[in-house]
Amino acid sequence: MGEGSARPVWAFLVSPYALYLLILLIVPFANVALFSIQTYSPTKIILPELTLVNYLKLFDPYYARLFGRTLKLGLITTVICAVLGYPLAYFLARARPRVATIGLFLLIMPLMVSTVIRVFGWIVILGRKGLVNKALMAFGLEPLKLLYNETAVVIGLVNIFMPFMVLPLMASIERIPPSLEEAAQNLGANWYRMFARTILPLSVPGLISGCLLVYSISISAFVTPALMGGRRERMVGQQIYDEVLVSFNWPSASSLALTLVLLTLVLLFAALYATRRASRLETGR
Amino acid sequence: MRGRTRWVLLPFVILVYLGLLAPLVVVIAVSFGPSPAFEFPPSGLTLRWFAAFFDSKPFVASFFRVSLVVGLVAAAAATVLGTAAAVGLVRFRFFGREGLETFFLMPLLVPQILLGAALYLFYASLEIHPSLMTLLLAHVIICTPYVIRSVTAGLVGMDPRLEEAAMSLGATPLQAFFKVTFPLLQSSLLSGAIFAFIISFSDINLALFLSGPESTSLPVHLFSQIQWEGDPTIAAASSLQIVIIGALILLVQRTFRLRLMV
Repeated sequence: MGEGSARPVWAFLVSPYALYLLILLIVPFANVALFSIQTYSPTKIILPELTLVNYLKLFDPYYARLFGRTLKLGLITTVICAVLGYPLAYFLARARPRVATIGLFLLIMPLMVSTVIRVFGWIVILGRKGLVNKALMAFGLEPLKLLYNETAVVIGLVNIFMPFMVLPLMASIERIPPSLEEAAQNLGANWYRMFARTILPLSVPGLISGCLLVYSISISAFVTPALMGGRRERMVGQQIYDEVLVSFNWPSASSLALTLVLLTLVLLFAALYATRRASRLETGR
Repeated sequence: MRGRTRWVLLPFVILVYLGLLAPLVVVIAVSFGPSPAFEFPPSGLTLRWFAAFFDSKPFVASFFRVSLVVGLVAAAAATVLGTAAAVGLVRFRFFGREGLETFFLMPLLVPQILLGAALYLFYASLEIHPSLMTLLLAHVIICTPYVIRSVTAGLVGMDPRLEEAAMSLGATPLQAFFKVTFPLLQSSLLSGAIFAFIISFSDINLALFLSGPESTSLPVHLFSQIQWEGDPTIAAASSLQIVIIGALILLVQRTFRLRLMV
């Protein structure tokens, strides 16, 4: 196949999905952009009068707090994921093939199960009569209100998005030859010094892409805060859902969605760039 | 890894796996427990919640008529679209190829809840109501990149001279592809199709916006049941999904490289 043929065969191959995305991804977001600069009307939902009100509104205390809380919860989630995920990534990267195979299955399988099921599991664990409170009561302690607050949301987000931290980190640690560790230790560095001087700096690209991935996914979370969070401590995803399906303020929902999608894309392209740069530095190009 | 390092890492490793697996273990345990409250550890063993699942019309419809059907059709459509796109991207050199490669990743970069909202608003402005079709079309968007990923990996690892040899023996390019390359691509095609199915089958973010009253998918039905504090039928339905997805992931790990897929 290929080079010699006069007909552009590649165009027949790539254009179906390219057109599909054009119609069902690009056009819908263009539509969102258009909605976001139009006027809301309680009776007609949208009036074709251009305005910037929907964006200026983002600076209102309510929306500023909403974004502030969302970005804060995303940050806490990311830091905890990095601290807990790093040791696991190192463990898997240096494990024997058999252990790594099982470890990888146990990491990816939960990730593919619907979020709603994993959140449900956490509700059962943290609920008033859940596992944790039963244990507390068995020790004669008062049951705690563990659900429907920010802590519960962070617990949910950390556990649900952990694999997105571990996988890129694991990939970047794997590329560091184990002989480097041995050399450092043979030269007299203790394990912690060796780790701080060789592994940690060399795995920074993986850490960056893991952090950006987890952060960008957690700031657009919906199911976890909707089922585990308090009514007063909502995240942007919930606000968008309500404004689209409950209060029908589509112009406002559109400005929120467009802001969030642009923020996410900037972060994720930074992650892609970090990964590509790292692999380029390695191959010396 | 030296002995002491392993002991220092172990508590973190166990903690993370506990966090990842605990909710699944708890859900499965609750589905076999006799108590209508979500009791863990269960005080007995019963199949009544599975019986309740198969007796419940909304659960059976959402599982078999919506999620399973949409998952299979979306996987089939994604496999066709994705395989064609992957072959085009790997086997040909043309202007804008790298840009197109990134463009085909976009569905994975855009937050799903926002894609769902955007599609809902788009359909609304065309006065199209949510249905099985709107859900299916949306799922194909996010499933196809997984097929592209696995087929690309399969093609990159393959020697293009095999096809050239077939053609120099008189095969047309199409014959060469279908008789030589295609059979060798089977495991990556299968993994791509399986992942496409899983992505559709477990999706909630798009389905929240795009499944209509007659086309509620299993995760959406679970979502509303959890909000209304239903009984462990929720856990029984969830256990079925966990088992199906677990088996499929195992299959991918046996036939292909699981690492590539996520």
